[in-house]
Amino acid sequence: MSTQDTEDIELPESLSYHDWAAAVREDRLLGQECGDCGHVSGVPSGACQECGGRDLTTVELPTTGEVYSETTINVPPEQFEERGYQVAVVDLGDARVMVRIEGDHVDIGGDVVLSGHIDTDDDHPAPTFEPAE
Amino acid sequence: MARASVVGAGMTKFGVHDTPLQELFGDAAFEAFDDAGVGPDEVEALYFGNAMGGQTENVTHLGPQCATHVGMAGKPVQRYEDACATSANAFKNAVEAVESGRHDVVLVGGVERCTPETGKDTDEMTRIFASASHRQYEQPTGLTFPGVFALLTKRHMHEHGTTEEQLAEVAVKNHGHGSLNPKAHFGKETTVEEALDGPVVADPFRLMDCCPFSDGAAAVVLVSDDLADSFDAPVDVTGVGHATDIVPLADKETPHVTKAARDAARQAYEQAGVSADDVDFAEVHDCFTGAEVLASEALGLVEDGQGGVAAAEGRTSRDGDIPINASGGLKAKGHPIGATGAAQIVELTEQVRGEAGEHQLDGVSRGVAHNLGGDAATTVVSVMEARA
Repeated sequence: MSTQDTEDIELPESLSYHDWAAAVREDRLLGQECGDCGHVSGVPSGACQECGGRDLTTVELPTTGEVYSETTINVPPEQFEERGYQVAVVDLGDARVMVRIEGDHVDIGGDVVLSGHIDTDDDHPAPTFEPAE
Repeated sequence: MARASVVGAGMTKFGVHDTPLQELFGDAAFEAFDDAGVGPDEVEALYFGNAMGGQTENVTHLGPQCATHVGMAGKPVQRYEDACATSANAFKNAVEAVESGRHDVVLVGGVERCTPETGKDTDEMTRIFASASHRQYEQPTGLTFPGVFALLTKRHMHEHGTTEEQLAEVAVKNHGHGSLNPKAHFGKETTVEEALDGPVVADPFRLMDCCPFSDGAAAVVLVSDDLADSFDAPVDVTGVGHATDIVPLADKETPHVTKAARDAARQAYEQAGVSADDVDFAEVHDCFTGAEVLASEALGLVEDGQGGVAAAEGRTSRDGDIPINASGGLKAKGHPIGATGAAQIVELTEQVRGEAGEHQLDGVSRGVAHNLGGDAATTVVSVMEARA
């Protein structure tokens, strides 16, 4: 889903975890921009991570990015049954998010695009990305 | 002037213990009491660390249980939980308590059991460890703690060219060091070939890049500067820095730089009036080989980007110019979470006194301890030195 399809959706004034999670389930990524210092975070906070300001605006984050770091996990925690899945920090430009990679392995610097989400951890969704074409 | 002095130190062997937590803690605490020549009646308070007892053993109100076991019932106990930095945080608060005059003599220590003796197997314990990552924004991806440090290390490798062979050299070094320490979990040396042949846990980390799940306890008796001279072998605490960084990891500006460690180190060095060049040896938080690489740079002991190279060249070996983890570190000595920070203080004390036995370093009088928690979002750095 591109940003264009979602620009009509009203963004929550104050971003909560539940808003963020609901957006992930709709294949969207929401972050926050600080009205005081301009810092953009990839997930909600009660105050700006950089300056502590509370004038935060919810922003729609891009759904394409570049892998900042990644690892393939072969010894998973309890209730993650599969092995050998890839977890990555994806740089979306103004912010980064931690995601699961689906499809082919991607190295650092590789281009990726939001592909959906997984919801295997007690109703806590995580965004998934896949290699961009 | 010292902020505080350690006058007694004790720790159990790290490894596998079927002992209840209070008894394990007691073994370390009694050793520290006897080393200091004090009894529990002279000790005014307990600063206690345990990170995961509630999850691992269904034990939460452990502070008074441990105080009772060591004869300190009635004394104030404060229990700290700060992931892997648990007992360094207890230590920091204890230093502040004796420095401020609130107490003159305190016991500081920690205890933890992480092995299958708890009844928890590897995948259960892996999930418990992952509870130190962000519940909403990290755990749902299936991230593990080897995974957290893999993400930091992979970026370091990308930016600086650090290699898997260099990571293996850290493991080889620390296993070599640990083979000289009878209290280490692992007493066996390893080779680069063996390390690189191990199964991958979270790439780039193979089994030998990872510290073990360990059980153990460590404790020290800490006294005010004024009282220190009335004890036999005081070792001064001249600086303790403590800093945090953004959680979750993805929001850190440059995660692999471990900013909290740099901030904590700067504070600790400033308090002690020293620079990294003045440090003779270090105990750093090598929960994974890559973590030692990052720590050695963050503490200023080696140049940025050179942590892996330094290990491979032997600069951080016990006979190198800046020995790191002469105890074997978390990698070989073991990592009973809530005891690890206190055990670093025990190691610094014994090295500075010249009482470290077979793994004693030559001519060291000032050491630094680096204990981190979570994804390095908490770091406590302590400087200890021979009393002038």
